[in-house]
Amino acid sequence: MDAPTDRDLILRARRGEVEAYGELVTRHQAGVFNVCYRILHERGEAEDLSQETFLRAHSRLNTFDVNRPFGPWIRRVAANLCLNHLESLKPETEFDEERDAAEGAGPEAVVEVRERGEQIRAALASLPARFRVVIELRHYQGLSYDEISAELNIPLSDVKSHLFRARKLLAEKLHAPD
Amino acid sequence: MHLTDDQLNEYLDDALPKRARAESHLSTCAECTARLSALRSLAAEIESLPEESLARNLAPAVTRRLTSPAAAYSGFPRWLTLTTVLQTAAATVLIASVAPFILEAASTFIPALQAPPVMETILEAQRVWTAWLDALSQFQWPSPPELPASLGLSNFYILLALAGTALAWLVGNGLLLRSQIKQ
Repeated sequence: MDAPTDRDLILRARRGEVEAYGELVTRHQAGVFNVCYRILHERGEAEDLSQETFLRAHSRLNTFDVNRPFGPWIRRVAANLCLNHLESLKPETEFDEERDAAEGAGPEAVVEVRERGEQIRAALASLPARFRVVIELRHYQGLSYDEISAELNIPLSDVKSHLFRARKLLAEKLHAPD
Repeated sequence: MHLTDDQLNEYLDDALPKRARAESHLSTCAECTARLSALRSLAAEIESLPEESLARNLAPAVTRRLTSPAAAYSGFPRWLTLTTVLQTAAATVLIASVAPFILEAASTFIPALQAPPVMETILEAQRVWTAWLDALSQFQWPSPPELPASLGLSNFYILLALAGTALAWLVGNGLLLRSQIKQ
């Protein structure tokens, strides 16, 4: 028997079938977690916010258009939730370089990739919250300027300014001489 | 004239309105081409970030929270809290009590202003309320019977003992409830 589609699961979840929603969580949790982890740069916090994302999405399931893909929608919900979370933290938490060091060791190439990945994550984490979320929506979720503007409810000029400044800061951090 | 950083960024994102003109410039300008290339490399580097695996399955925790009794409240709008409900009720009572006075004061300036039928009910309720307040202000507690002097206890000490017992009862219940909440 074919596995149920996301659409089927959403319709069943709307009727109150919690197990169907659990299946949706299982399918999309990795994507949502990665959104949260890229923005928050802290595993535990990213897991908590991922869970909150699914709970928030469940309460808004009736407003979701089932003819559209669920994955991009839930990832946008996650990005927004992370932004709200970061903005509620005052003062903004500073990134601790040693907090999330790469775990374990492997072949040299793997270690190199992991180290570079950590540098990118560290550079992302050093950005102001809104810059991080704009980078997430543009580079990892492929949204256009207009879509980001609508998603974050900010003017188009702010989207451009946040994105361009974020890229400039990332270039400075990633390509700075050691 | 070289392309600005903003134009290069928009070009990279396929959002530059005059793209053909920018392309024409890029075909002849090594400096702008190098800047665009650096921007492309940065974008590729950002997007090269590998996906991380999740250490635990979130589905059981999510479904558990959706089936917990507390989730029954999640259907309410977020702004509809107990505080909001109580504040709304208090504001309604306040408006209903003040409205007749305002209407009465306003009617001295605008003689044509008549209280709507519903105001009659509110006025009646207000009269009952005022009468009740009057009765309350005249109420006197019956004086407690005097204790035999041989016991050597004054009413003050008895009240003090009662207050102490009540306080101990409240604190005791609070401690019990706290341990339940922790569970």
